[in-house]
Amino acid sequence: MSAGLDGFVAAAPWPQRSGLRVLLALARRPRSGALLARVPLAEQAAHSTLALGRYDDPAVARRLGWDAAAVVARGRALRRAEGRP
Amino acid sequence: MKADFCVVGSGAGGAVVAAELAESGASVVVLEQGPGHDADGFTARPPEMLARLYRDGGQTATLGTPPVLLPLGRGLGGTTLVNSGTCFRTPPYVLARWAREFGLEVDEPALAPFFERVERALSVSEVTPELAGANAAIARRGAERLGWSHGYLRRNARGCVGSGVCVFGCPTSAKQHTGITYIPRARAAGARILTGADVRQVLVAGGRAHGVRARRADGSALEVRAPEVIVACGAIYTPLLLDASRLADASGQRGRNLSLHPATAAFALMDEVVDMSRGVPQSFYVDEFAADGIMLEGVAGPPAYAAMSLPLTGARHARAMADYRHLVQFGLMVSDRSRGRVRSVAGRPLIRYDLVREDLDRFRAGLARLEQLFAAAGAREVYLPLGTGVRPQHASARELRLAAFHPLGTARADARPSHGVTDGDLAMHGVAGVHVADGSVVPSALGVNPQLTIMALATRLAFGLLGRPAPDIPRRSSSQARGSDEEAECLS
Repeated sequence: MSAGLDGFVAAAPWPQRSGLRVLLALARRPRSGALLARVPLAEQAAHSTLALGRYDDPAVARRLGWDAAAVVARGRALRRAEGRP
Repeated sequence: MKADFCVVGSGAGGAVVAAELAESGASVVVLEQGPGHDADGFTARPPEMLARLYRDGGQTATLGTPPVLLPLGRGLGGTTLVNSGTCFRTPPYVLARWAREFGLEVDEPALAPFFERVERALSVSEVTPELAGANAAIARRGAERLGWSHGYLRRNARGCVGSGVCVFGCPTSAKQHTGITYIPRARAAGARILTGADVRQVLVAGGRAHGVRARRADGSALEVRAPEVIVACGAIYTPLLLDASRLADASGQRGRNLSLHPATAAFALMDEVVDMSRGVPQSFYVDEFAADGIMLEGVAGPPAYAAMSLPLTGARHARAMADYRHLVQFGLMVSDRSRGRVRSVAGRPLIRYDLVREDLDRFRAGLARLEQLFAAAGAREVYLPLGTGVRPQHASARELRLAAFHPLGTARADARPSHGVTDGDLAMHGVAGVHVADGSVVPSALGVNPQLTIMALATRLAFGLLGRPAPDIPRRSSSQARGSDEEAECLS
């Protein structure tokens, strides 16, 4: 799990955090797919969280036209140039 | 520590009231539970920003059918730090309802000077089509083909370049959230702003407040002595603080009447390149069905955000994400009749909220409208937030995937002590020296984004506390007046 996703899961309130960790562990096991599919809400939660991490990867995001580092650099340059907070 | 006023919270309500009071020469202390955030620390990467800028990493959720995700900001600026920046004045028919049902003496002319003052302070203006991006242009195309009422949204932004990450920390500081507007003003006027200060209790003796007790981030105790306390922790945490302070509540309404403006969103696949993250994510609205409690508003974000929100799984999700540059998204918000309740369990909020049939019908109708909007705009495929094969008209409450961003009403204002937690001046019934300045006083769903309403009410509260008359509405410049007159002539 990436540091960003790990921090996201760690920030969840206690009961959800534990549940989410179990769901993520299940979702990563190929044979657990059928089990998760029986509970659509749980499957969606696990799937969404894993997708959040996967597409946050800079290399993956860049292939889709999104460069977070460039957005941040442009913002920083603009703030410095114009004296924004 | 002593002050004339102690303000708890620094979001849409707290920051505004603090700045107005401090600039009038009052001694003010602001206590904010979260940290201050520096724009240099914003990374435009959703997981990291959710963990850092939101309570519970943005994963606060309600219990009920269906569960609703309720992301709340945390830190200087409160939720204004992470909202989309959309600014609506309170609709006149909502104000009329407040007067009729809650005995509140607020109408459009009376609130206009306060709205005007806030809008000037936050540089509120309409998004331009260029800045709105392709996501909005597609929605506009659909709305125009269908003949639906629509428009570009007004926002509190200055020098925006369309970074596309308003809700993950604006990297250009274009969004004028209260952490970079009202809070610096309050500080410059002498207010003391303390972050990491978790207020545990409003201190009351003989039916009158005399300060608050808090705990700092390092665990040390802090007491602020002040004859006036303004509670502005937001609609989820304000009732918890009032409860913890054991303040009288003759109405029994504290923590009740929670409305949320529950929302959902749909995606569509277009032939054209959209690049939804380029431009202002929430820049366009369709209000054709506002009278039915259904508002359609833009929503968009970078790939990680889209991947998390896309209502697909497995290979279909992967295929749609491979076409991310062709994906468009639009949201649906319901002016809810459903009402929830917030209670404290071991100091944390337990939020119960169940969708009533009337609101389920609104979601069914709204999702059908979203599908229609995308189809009219030329979508190749539409992805509704429903299970495979489920049509909008057959959706059950359990199947809906909802989030909400506008909790309101848990310390509702009502002129009658038997019906409301606060009165028309936002003073708590039954306790002297305690006022509330956040979404919790808003007595009904608004049907529009509430930050401007909260800010205008907070400004009005500050003027009331200072015994000042409403501010004058500044005269328009001659060129502005000329422009409007010319426009009027063209229209006539």
